[in-house]
Formats: sequence, C-alpha cells, structure tokens
Amino acid sequence: MIYQTNIDNRKVLPDFDQTLIWSVILLLSLGLVMVYSASIATELGGGTNDHTTYFLVRHSIYLVIGLLVGFIAFQIPIRLWQKCSPYLFLFGVILLVLVLIPGIGREINGSKRWLSLLVINLQPSELMKLFVVIYAADYTVRKAAYLDSFRKGFFPMLIVILLVGALLLKEPDLGAFVIIISIVMAVLFLGGISLKLFLGLIGLLFISLLALIVFEPYRYDRMVGFMNPWTDPYGKGYQLSHSLMAFGRGEWFGVGLGGSVEKLLYLPEAHTDFLLAVIAEELGFLGVIIVIMLFGWLVTRAFLIGRQAFIQKHCFGALVAQGIGVWFGVQAFINMGVNMGILPTKGITLPLMSFGGSSIVTNCLALAILLRVDWDSRQLQKGYTT
Amino acid sequence: MTQNLESHIVLPAWRSRMLYGLLILSLIGLVGRAFYLQGIHKDFLQQKGSSRYSRVLEMGTQRGMITDRHGEPLAISTPVDSVKANPRKINATPEQLKKLADLIETNVPDIKKNLNSRQRDFVYLKRHVSPDVAKKIIQLAIPGISLVRDFRRYYPTGEQTSHMLGFTDLDDNGQEGIELALQKTLAGGVGSRRIIWDRRHRVIEGVGNVNEPTPGKNIALSIDSKIQYLAYRELKQAIEVNQAKAGGIVVLDTQTGEVLALVNLPTYNPNNRMRAKGGRARNRSVIDTFEPGSTLKPFTVAAALEARKVTPNMEFQTAPGTLTIGNRTIHDTHNYGRVTVEQVIQKSSNVGAAKIALLLSPQTQWETLSGSGFGASTGSKFPGEANGTLHPFKKWGQIEQATISYGYGISVSLLQLARAYTLFSSEGYLKSVSLLKIDAPVEGKQVISRDTALAVSKMLEMVVGREGTAQLAQINGYRVAGKTATTHKTEGRGYSKNRYTATFVGYAPASNPRLIVAVMLDEPSAGQHFGGQVAAPIFSRVMGRALEILNIPHDTPIKNMSLLPITLNPKGDV
Repeated sequence: MIYQTNIDNRKVLPDFDQTLIWSVILLLSLGLVMVYSASIATELGGGTNDHTTYFLVRHSIYLVIGLLVGFIAFQIPIRLWQKCSPYLFLFGVILLVLVLIPGIGREINGSKRWLSLLVINLQPSELMKLFVVIYAADYTVRKAAYLDSFRKGFFPMLIVILLVGALLLKEPDLGAFVIIISIVMAVLFLGGISLKLFLGLIGLLFISLLALIVFEPYRYDRMVGFMNPWTDPYGKGYQLSHSLMAFGRGEWFGVGLGGSVEKLLYLPEAHTDFLLAVIAEELGFLGVIIVIMLFGWLVTRAFLIGRQAFIQKHCFGALVAQGIGVWFGVQAFINMGVNMGILPTKGITLPLMSFGGSSIVTNCLALAILLRVDWDSRQLQKGYTT
Repeated sequence: MTQNLESHIVLPAWRSRMLYGLLILSLIGLVGRAFYLQGIHKDFLQQKGSSRYSRVLEMGTQRGMITDRHGEPLAISTPVDSVKANPRKINATPEQLKKLADLIETNVPDIKKNLNSRQRDFVYLKRHVSPDVAKKIIQLAIPGISLVRDFRRYYPTGEQTSHMLGFTDLDDNGQEGIELALQKTLAGGVGSRRIIWDRRHRVIEGVGNVNEPTPGKNIALSIDSKIQYLAYRELKQAIEVNQAKAGGIVVLDTQTGEVLALVNLPTYNPNNRMRAKGGRARNRSVIDTFEPGSTLKPFTVAAALEARKVTPNMEFQTAPGTLTIGNRTIHDTHNYGRVTVEQVIQKSSNVGAAKIALLLSPQTQWETLSGSGFGASTGSKFPGEANGTLHPFKKWGQIEQATISYGYGISVSLLQLARAYTLFSSEGYLKSVSLLKIDAPVEGKQVISRDTALAVSKMLEMVVGREGTAQLAQINGYRVAGKTATTHKTEGRGYSKNRYTATFVGYAPASNPRLIVAVMLDEPSAGQHFGGQVAAPIFSRVMGRALEILNIPHDTPIKNMSLLPITLNPKGDV
C-alpha cells in the first residue's frame, strides 16, 4: 500500500481533525477567561465575598459537563443519530411546549425560555437547534426523491418548522427562531431542494418584509432604530451604545485583560450576549479578529468535513456537518453583528464562549457529532468500515 | 438500508461552496465593521464613553492654620465626620431610625422629611458629629447611611481672638475676619483628579490624571497671644467695673505697625457660634467709628507747629473758658486763663485748640489729618474696615475748623486712631497697620518733621505728668506719653448730656517708643466717665505688663509703688 511505496513522504492521517479541535479548545478557553473577566464586577452573587467567581465556577462546571457529554456523544454512531432523529425532534418540541406551561417553564426578564431541572435551568431552544440540524438532514435524505415537489418535498417541512417557529415566538426567543429557520433553509438548500422552490421562498420572505415596511412603518423604524443608538442612548440604545463604546475604547490592542470599564455594570449581559464587546475592549481589534478567524476556521472545517462525508457517500453525515457549520457561523455572525451594531439586538449567545449551560453543552454535543462524522470519513479513507 | 437511500441523492458542490462563501463573506464584513469601530470611529466612541463614566472629582485639602506671631495656634482645622444618607438606598427599621435620631439629636419625622425632600443621591443628616457619635452611627449599620470626612475649624483661644479671626462656614470657607480676608491663601488650591467610576459611582482607583491639591498655607498673624490675652482680661474687667456697654483695646508695634493685640467686648465664642448674633460679632475697633474728641488735639498742634504758626511756649488766652464763633459757643470744663500751647494739650483746652486751629488754613489742617491716616484705610485689609469720615476742607467753615481741632465732626476707628499716633512715637512717620507678622522694620511715610513730632511727644508726656489729665496712665519704670478723650456721644441731631465714650491713646517708653496702646470704653456708667479716670488705668496696666512681656528696658527709675504720689487732677478732663 501507500506506506510501503512512499515511506519518506508518508502522511499519517490523524484520527481527528486536529485544527478543528484546537480552534474549539481556543474558543472555549478564551470564552472561560472572558466570562470570568466580564462577570468579575457582577453583583449577582448576592453580597457574598466570592461573588466575583460566581460565573467562573458555573461556567467551568458547564464546560466539564459539555466535554463529558461530547465524549459520550462521540461514541454514538452517526446512523444511530439518524435513526433517532424524528424522536429527538419530537422530544425537543415537547420541551418547547413544556417551557410555555406555567409552573414548569421559568420566566426570566419576561421570556419563558427555561425549564428548572433541580440544579440547572435547561434552555430547550438551544437543544432544539441541534435537533433541527439532525432532523432536517434526515428529512432531506429521506425525501431526496421529492425535493422538487412542493407538496411532497417541501410542504411537510414547512408545517413542522412553522410549528416550531410558533413555539419559539411564543416564548419569545426570536434569536433561536432566526437560527433554526436559517439551519432548515440551509440544509434544504444544500440537500438539493429545487431552486424554484428555494428562490420562491426567498422571494416570499422578501415580499413580506417589504409589505411590513409599507403597511407598518413603525415596525420598520423599530427594526432599523438600532442603527443609531445615540438618538436614545439612555433608553433603547443603552445596551448597544455601551457595547460600541467598549469597541471604541479597545482600539487595536485593547485596554488589557481585566481593564474593561464597560463590564463594571454599564454594559448589561456583558458575560453572555455582549461578551464580544468585553473582548473588544480588553483585547482590542486583535482579539476580535482572532475570535472571528477561529469561527471562520470552524465553519470552514465543518463544510470540508461535510464535503468529505459526501464523497464517502455519507449524505446524512454531510448535511449534519454542514448544518452545524451554518448554525455556528450564523449564530456567531448574528451575535457579533449585534455587538457591533449592524444587526438589531436579539438574545443570542456567542457559541462556545458566552456564559450559559444549555448553550455550552449543546455546542459541545454538536461538535462531538461533527468530529464523529469526520472520524467516520477518516476511518473509511484508511480502509476501515464504520 | 440507509446506504441504499443515500446512494441516489446528490449534494451539489456549488451550493455548499456558495453558502460557505456567504458565511465567510459575512465574517469578513464583521472584520471590516470592527476595523471601523476600533480604528476609525474610536474617538467619537471614547468621548461618548468618557461622558458616561469619567468624572473630574474635586479633592479637598486641609485649611491652613492661623497662628500668632510666635506660632501659637489660633485656628486649626480638625478632621470630623458628617453623617450623610442616600435617600434612594436607605433601608432602616423604625427602631434603627429612632436610635439614629437620638444620636444626631433630632427626631424621626425630621429625618424622614429630610430624606423625602429631595430626589437626590446625597443629603447631609448632620454635619460635624463627635467621633463617639460617629462610631455609634456606624454600628447601627443602616444601609444608605454613611460618614463623610469633613474639616471643622477649631479656635483654641476662643472668644479672645474671635473678632480678629472671624470664622468659617460648615464647608470651611472663611466668612468673617482674617478667615475671610485670607480665604484664598488659607484654603489652598482645590485639587482635582480625573476618575473613572462604575455604574454605582464607585471610583475605580488608579485610572485618570491627578492634579494634586495645594494645601492651605499657614498664616502667622502679628498678634502676640500673651498680650492679646492680657488686653482681653483687662478690658473684660474694666467693662465690668465701669459697667460700660462696649469697649476695645488696640496694641500696635510702633516700629512695624503690627497689631500685637486687638480685642473688643462684647464678643462671642467662635467654637460655638450660637450666640454670635448682632453686636457680639462686630470687630468694633476696626469696623465701627466714633468721634475721637481730645485725642485729636495733638494733630491740631502738630499742624500749627509744622506751619510755624505757633511754638510750644506760645501763649493763648482761653478765658473765660468759652469761645463764640458765629452762633456756636465752644466750652472748656474750666476757665484755664492764659495757657501755653503745651498746656492746651496737657489740660486739654477746647478753646485753646480751636484758637490754634483758626490760625491755620482749612487746607493745612486737613492735610495734616489726612496725612495722619484719618478718612482712609489703615492698610490692615480687614474685611469691612471703616475708613471713618473726614469731610473735604472746602466744606469747612470756621466752626468746623474749630470743632475738628478737638475731635468733633470727624469720625475714626480705634485702629485708625492708634495708628495715627505712630506720627508722634516714631518721629513723624506714619506706619501702615499690619495684621500679619512682619519680620523687617517698616519705613513708613513722613508726615510731620522730626522736631514737630518730638515737640508734640513732649506735650503728650506732660499729659501723663504731674499737672496732666491722665496721671493714672503712669507706669512705674517707664516714661509714658498719651492723650485722653471724653466724648459726648451723638444722640439724635445733637449730643447726649450723659452718654460718653472714654478714650486713651498712648505709647511707651517715651524715650524710645515701642508700643502704642489705644483704649476705648463705650458708655462707662458706673459713676466715672472721664478718659483719664476710666481708660487711662486700663492703658497703664496693659502697657506696663506688655512692656514686661516684651522685655523692654526701663527708661526711668523704678519707684516704690506705694509711695508713688498720684494725685487726681481735680479739674478732670474734657
């Protein structure tokens, strides 16, 4: 074989995607450090002396759980995921319904997004993102023959997604709604849905947006109001204006780790949705570029892994991999875009970095599945069968 | 089986490339946005940021100390605590509020009113509490109530020096006296530091520029606290004995014009100003004026000597003890007959002084008085200092010339009067008054010639001598020169028959004068009211003791006090 003919130039194909793993490790560690830094002045700890480490300790625990869950998930064959996909999806829908039931769902800041599970609060919409990736991939593979048909190929998915979307909007969790719609659309697109259908859908979205602007201009105002937070910097523009100040203060190389002023109770949600602002202030443009590049690399690897899986005839794995890539890419883009004031403020975390148990654990789970898809491909390349 | 299903689907590569490309382009767009925010738009954003969390805080500094000329403290700022509250954060049980009210000596409704009255983050509940009370308030541990460090002015010498020093307000800003006059020097420069604070307005240390405050400077007054105390004690006693309404003593150093002592009664305790109302707070010797009476006669004589209109031994007829000018008649208390110029001073003859004055042109007379500092500031820079009244000579008729010659129709402050006598004590030179310590001798301005000054000085010694009106001003071991006055106070449009001011201004040792002491009692009403009887003894005691304190050598042999023949001039004094 190859080994014998070309020993000097041999490249032993590793079992894992090393660069992907490293970029994930970097994102997770930077996230941990920055969550600690951003939350150091928080008063949530409740008067005790160790409140500075309140979020550090919890975030660390989530990371450990996430890595553990990821390790277990990696052991599960991709085929099993595919088989279970309708049940997982159903499970996710049930959780989303439970959230809305008073007494079971927990309401924080006017949104019912959490389920209280003894020690931790579970956020089903995070889990749902993963389930949607798997379900959409399986759906696309199953309905491959009908993807040109509106009634058989597209309509069933539309109904399912409208249901999930309605549940998410009821919470409300507009951020998760946008992500899930993006994932489904992307997977259908990648899976070969008829261009006519796809473009028709895009056109429909565009027209409804236009109608919104024409018939209800105030909605439009509200949507683009975020563009200039300085018109109401102490009211609606408060959070964004402070986020932008953090960017401005950071300049090229930042004010130094721990030196953020914005995190001193000025910037709300500094350790969750606006973590990038603290990174921008403390680590500067350099820190922001590194984060963007790491996400860029993550997306790149996900797409390449998907491509490789397709070559190995693992269409489900391919769609899952690329769906995960779209998920992380879109969510990172929206979160960072919100931080920088080019997208309206939505409750969306920065994947792998922001504080939040459900988010971190689900992210780890998704990456484990991505690595498993990759592992399968590599095994096949080496001549093994999975 | 799944393998079969998958086998016939195709994932178009261009779709995945396009989607991937879109995602990467979006991320690149973010890089561009970050570049704009952090590289180009940053000045605007930073300026917006500064307006939110950057402040310039004032840094207070301790007020300078006021000392006497020897460094004895007269006014000191000591740190004290004030109780402040944040009405928005306060959270106290009724029981805690009751305890707090007891500690700051108020009641619960008042505290509540104070807390509700303003929508602010900061109200004082009580300024300047004792350390003991402060400690107890902290032990109450009421959220929203805390202490702030303040400075409180403390005056060790209390009411003796209160008029000179004045006082400060709760924020330690000078309100009266030296405290006000030298506010800038004493307060120093308030510093500032640029700080960044968090949203709860807690200062983050180590950020921003510091502009250190310049500490207030210490100030050494010209006051000698021993002499000040002496003057205060003597004045207090004299006021009691003579049942006077008020009084003042000024002690000047003749060589420098420094005020060594300046006291007034009634006075107040600056450490507890509850009673510093109305007249008590007035520094009468500086800001009030009175008609000087006979203490002005030496200036009339000096003007005549200077103009060579008279000589010390030139005789004047004062009989029959009255002089009529126009429709006004001037009286002497007795008919002195023919007297020399010297005797006019010694006996204090109004008719004689008037006759001398009428030899002069109004302008000459005015110039001497003006040159002696009447009608103008003494240079003390004391806030509210009175200039007194010296009308322009063009308005003078003969009757004005005559009355001014013996000190009516002109008003002076006691400080002005004391200062004017530097003319005679320092050979014709007028010295500026200084409330601050001066190290070098002061030149002064020559107003009359040395000969004239010495001639008048000799007459002033005669006043205290055997035939003079102020023998009670004598001091054992020192030659004394001076002049008495007993002035009718004005009442309505004319003069009161039975309300007087009694004055004595003098200096010693006459051979080489060092100190001027001016004493004035307002309305002595215990029987005696003549300057020679009431004011002269106070002068004698203050001057005698002050000369001892300063170790001034005697210039005449010390006599046995008990044998000293003091005979009261039965004729008294006007």
